[in-house]
Order: sequence, then structure tokens, then C-alpha cells
Amino acid sequence: MENALGLAGYQATMMIIVFAVLALGVAALFAALFLPARWRLPYSIEFLFVGLLLVMVWYGDNRSAEIVAAYQAPLEDEGVLEIGYDTSSGDFDRVTRVLAFQWGFAFINEDDEISRNATIARPGERVLFSLFANDVIHGFNIPAAGITAEFEPGVERDVWIRAPETPGRYLIQCLNYCGVGHAQMKAWLVVEGDEAKAGA
Amino acid sequence: MANVHDAERMGNKPHWEPEDVIGKMTLSSLLFSNDYRHIAIKGMLTSVVMLGLGGFMALLFRTELALPDIQFFDARPYMSLMTLHGMFMVFGFIIPFVISIMYYMMPKILGTDELLWARGAQWSYWLLIIAAVLLMISRPDFTWTFYPPMALRVGGDLIWMGYLAVVLVAISEFLAGAVLLKNGMAAIRRIGWRKLPLMGWGAISEGILLIGATPILALVGIFMYTDWAQITAVYDPSRGGNVMTFMFMFWFYGHPAVYLPLMPAVATLYTLLPRFLGRPIWSYWSAVTAFALLTGLGFVVYPHHFQPAENVSGMLQRTTQILTLLIFIPSTLHVFNWIATLWSDPIPASARRAIPFKFIIAAIFFLMLGGVTAYLNAQIAVDGDFVHNTYFVPAHFHAMFVGFMGNMAMAGFYYLYPYFTGRMYNQALGNTHFWFWQIGILTKVLSMYYLGFNYFPRWVVDYLDLPQWSMPQMMLTGAAYLIGLGFIVFVLNIMLSATRGTIAVGDPWAIDDEDTAGRAQPVSAE
Repeated sequence: MENALGLAGYQATMMIIVFAVLALGVAALFAALFLPARWRLPYSIEFLFVGLLLVMVWYGDNRSAEIVAAYQAPLEDEGVLEIGYDTSSGDFDRVTRVLAFQWGFAFINEDDEISRNATIARPGERVLFSLFANDVIHGFNIPAAGITAEFEPGVERDVWIRAPETPGRYLIQCLNYCGVGHAQMKAWLVVEGDEAKAGA
Repeated sequence: MANVHDAERMGNKPHWEPEDVIGKMTLSSLLFSNDYRHIAIKGMLTSVVMLGLGGFMALLFRTELALPDIQFFDARPYMSLMTLHGMFMVFGFIIPFVISIMYYMMPKILGTDELLWARGAQWSYWLLIIAAVLLMISRPDFTWTFYPPMALRVGGDLIWMGYLAVVLVAISEFLAGAVLLKNGMAAIRRIGWRKLPLMGWGAISEGILLIGATPILALVGIFMYTDWAQITAVYDPSRGGNVMTFMFMFWFYGHPAVYLPLMPAVATLYTLLPRFLGRPIWSYWSAVTAFALLTGLGFVVYPHHFQPAENVSGMLQRTTQILTLLIFIPSTLHVFNWIATLWSDPIPASARRAIPFKFIIAAIFFLMLGGVTAYLNAQIAVDGDFVHNTYFVPAHFHAMFVGFMGNMAMAGFYYLYPYFTGRMYNQALGNTHFWFWQIGILTKVLSMYYLGFNYFPRWVVDYLDLPQWSMPQMMLTGAAYLIGLGFIVFVLNIMLSATRGTIAVGDPWAIDDEDTAGRAQPVSAE
């Protein structure tokens, strides 16, 4: 798995931890039910157990905070985009304003051209989305980029992604229930390949 | 910290004799008697009806979701069904069911044989019934979280009844909390806090959560109504209100609400497990500590429900993340305690046969399955990726609400059954119900996790025909039907066995360890 910052492995590590803890718990439960051997655990073992859980908490908090810091620090700050990149911060290849409404997305590019429910990017481009809405709370999720934002009416929210390297259509969807047309709130991030560029 | 607590205080004794309480009840006593057994039976049976209604709604919209495209319902009736399903299951089924089980067990275990301030429990029940009727009439379609300003702009002319229902639910839960807290505190005064049975600690935790959280919910319902009627503009941004005020207020109730059915379910487990095993819980103080930590932390972690919003950032976001990760610990301590108890001595054959014991084991399993993913949900970076408002969230709470709390509600009900009908349930039907539910719930939860991991959004009537979406949705619908079938078997069982079941005499849960004699002796580490 790779998220918008190009950080591979973070979610995978967390999933492995979760599966390991679950497997241990289920194994202990089944052993308690079906193994003939019985064992009265000493109370001190619980302190060791809590210690292990605290290490998990510390690790999860730090790793998550590291990722979030890269997303949420002011985009102009020096070094914000260093994780996974060697480019300077705040220098986007494309800036797109996104109006979310009941029920759809309108994308406004730097030339003030508006397209409904589709926006274009080049492979690997760093794209800044400025999100806003005037009606209700909406969500903005690009599964391929692994990013989700919520924004309420009247508040502009910036999120950025690196466009996927493979040309194609990538789903954009609202993840916050915004009324009966919520299921229709889908759009596409169209990543154009070289042939599209040549054609243009 | 030696385990000095005797079996009686741990709930490890036959609490009362089997009796046909229902058979002796009149319609009047069923409706209005303040006898704690009557109130509890009424609450449990009403919860079963609510479970049937909420489950039927789920089957309807699950049928729609089995395939992509619109087949049976448009968005509005679909969302009404989904909203009512959520509200009926949470407010009508699971919370009142486990609280009713507490009403029945607590007076016996705490030694009073009466529920102090039972009138409060009676009022709590009737207010909830009125709220359920109002909800049905208002047919809200804005989900149980009713975010403004969306929720202020949808619904018909009668939607105000939905807001009133929210206020009534809050008052009903507040009264239930007052009853539980009063009984728990009275038991402390009588027995002493060092000797208080864990059911008592559960009642106190539940009472604090209910009394602390529900006044805010009542305010939310009132402000939603006054904003809708354009009397105030607290939440509506188009008239100068602030949506974030709603988010902070609603989730201040909304997160503790998750623990409202959890605490009684945990307390019931701590009561029944020693009863079936014939030995005390492994660590009494670990359980008390975990109750206290869950209660305290339950009030402060709520911003994680909307952390992808910009207002939850910086120190608030980081603190919320740490606290949410920490709340993982008391839940895990409970599980550790139960497994250590199971492991300490041979499990009697009578326990292995008992349907309530089977539901207890399944409940522990699902608490692990649902609880462990909270480690992911708590982390902002994962939450902002594939967790927030995808099917990962309903997977987590269905594992907890249905897998843990629902199974514990059934464990409590089957356990109490001979005490209020005077007869035993049918074992074969009980086993059928058990397996239909466990297979169904496991399939459902795993399908939901898979869908969430593939970014399937919540609250959609229609979806793209992607293979990673459509196949699990079909499985999920099949699982829902299996659970529905299990429910029908359960209802048949309790109806038929009430008149045709074996008459229960003496202690229906007497320990029979005939096949444990040849087992290895426990290895003592003390």
C-alpha cells in the first residue's frame, strides 16, 4: 500500500500488528476452551501485558503523527514534503478548486474552466485541491491516493495528492452522508498518459 | 493482590429459584407494575420486538444492496429504512435490552431483591416507547447522526417529531442512568466498595455515562428543533450558526453512547462466567480498574468521530489520538481477565452444554475482532485513509454491537429464561439459533471490513459494479438473512418452550463436571 505521500508500508505494518494481536487473542481463547492443560496465571503478568499495550500505543501514535504532520503542516513550510519526495514544498503542478454540492463535484482549474465530476492530472503530478461547499458538510475521498477530508459550508480546505503513475480513471467520492443523493456524489480523477498529451 | 473474593460476591451462586413469573403476570402488572422483574421482562420482550423491527428493515435495505443499481427502493425510502434501523437497534434494542437484564439481575446480586426507584425505570420505559412511535411517524432519513444543516433541510412536515423523539430518548436514558447509579451507590453503602460485586461496578459506570452524556443529547434535540423552526440559529451556518458546535455536542453523547450497551454487557459477562465455571473471576481489581478507565476515557475521546474535519487538528487531534489509543487498554484488560478465568481450571461439562455460555464465548471472540481494529480507527493517518465513513466503521461497530453486546444480550436472556418462565429453553433450537447467528455475524463483519478496506462508502443506496464491492455486498446480504433466520428460530424457541419446555427445578445452572475429572490438574503459579 502506498498513500498520497508515497509512504509505503505504514498501513501494512499497522495491519500486521492488528492481525497478530487478534491471532494471539483468538489462540488464547481457543486454548483456554480446548487444551487439557490448565494454568493459573500470576497477577504480575498483567503488568507485563499492559506494558506491551503501552508500547503499541506509543508506536501507533508516533507513526500516525509522522504521517499527519506531513499532510497538515503549512504547505509553505520548508521540508514539509520531504517524506518520500526530494522536491521543494508548496510547489504544485496543478491547483484545482473543488466545489462540492448536493450532489456532485465541480472542478475549477487555474484558467477558471469548470468541469463537472471529472478532473485531469498527469502521472505523478502534485495536485492541490482547494475544497469548499455552500450547502452541507461533504467529504472528499480519493481511494487511490488514500486521503479523506471533511469540510463544512463556508470553510475552504486544502488537501494535496500525488497523482497515480498509471494513466486511467480513479474514483473520487463523498464519504459524509449529505442527503438522499449522497450515493450519486462520485467523480473521476482522470490521469492522462503520454498519448493523451501528444493528442493535445 | 491475591484473589480473596469469595464465590458469592462474584455472583457465583444460584441467585433465585425458577418461577413462572410471566404466567402470573396480568396485563396491568406487565404494563404498570413497579416490580423489578416485571419491568425487566417488559423491557426485554419489547427489545426483542424492536430487534425484529430493526432487523426486518435491515433485510429490506440489504436486499436492495445485494446487487448494484436500484432494484427496489429509491434513495429516500432507503435512507428512512437505514435511519430507523440504526435508531431502533441502538436505542430500542441493544441499550434497553442489556439494561433490562441488569434490572433483573442487580437486585438479586446486590442482595436487595428490589430495584430502588423502580418508578424511574418505569418512566424510562414508557418515554422510550413514545419516542419509538414518534420516530416511526416522522420517518427521518438523515441517519442516526443527523448532521446539520443537511438534517435541517430534509424530511417531511412531521420531522419535528423526530427531534422530539431524540429529546425523549435522552430523558429516558437519563432516568435509567439515575436508577442504576442509585442502586449501585446504595450497594456500596451497604456492602462496601471493596466487596461490591462487579455487577454493581457496572451499574455505577453505566449510571455515570448515562447521566453525564444524555443532557447534551437532549440539548442537541432541542436546538435541532428550534433551528428547524427558525427560532434559533445554533447550528445552521446559512443563518449564522456553526456546524462544529453540533459536532462537538452530538459526539459528546455519541461516543459514550457506544459504551452504554457495552457496560451492562461486560457486567453481565462478569456475573455469568463465574456462575457457569463455578469459580471466581481471575482478577476482581483488574475488572474494577478497567470499568473506571472505560468510564473516564469514554467522555474525552469523542473528537475522533470527526477528525478528518479541519477543526480537529494540532494538539486536539494528537491528544484525541493518544486517548483513543489508550482506551484500547481497559477493553483488552477485560478480555485478558475472562480468558485467564477460563484457563485457570477445567471447564465443567454443564457450561459447555449451556446455550448462554456458548453466547458468552462468541461474545468474547467478537469483542476481540471488533476491538482490535480500534487500534487502526484511532490513528489519524489510517482513519483519513480507508476507515473514516467507509464500511470499516460499521464493521467495527457491528462486531461490537451485534457480535459482543447482541450475543451478551442473548446470553443474559437465555440465562434468565428459566427464572421468569419456570421452564428450560429447547436445546436444539438454542444451538440452531447460536450457529446461525455466529456464522451470519462473522460473515457480515468480515465482509464489511473487506468493503471498508476497499473504500466502500457508508450510506449509499447504489454503488459502482466493481468486483471488490459487489461480491462482498452479496455475501453481506446472505449473512443478514442467516441472522434473520436465527432470530426466527430464537422467537420460536422462547414461545414454544414457555409452555412446552422442560420444567426447571432447583438450580438450572448447577455445575456438573463429570467429564472434567480426568483432566490435567491446574498449574498454580501463585
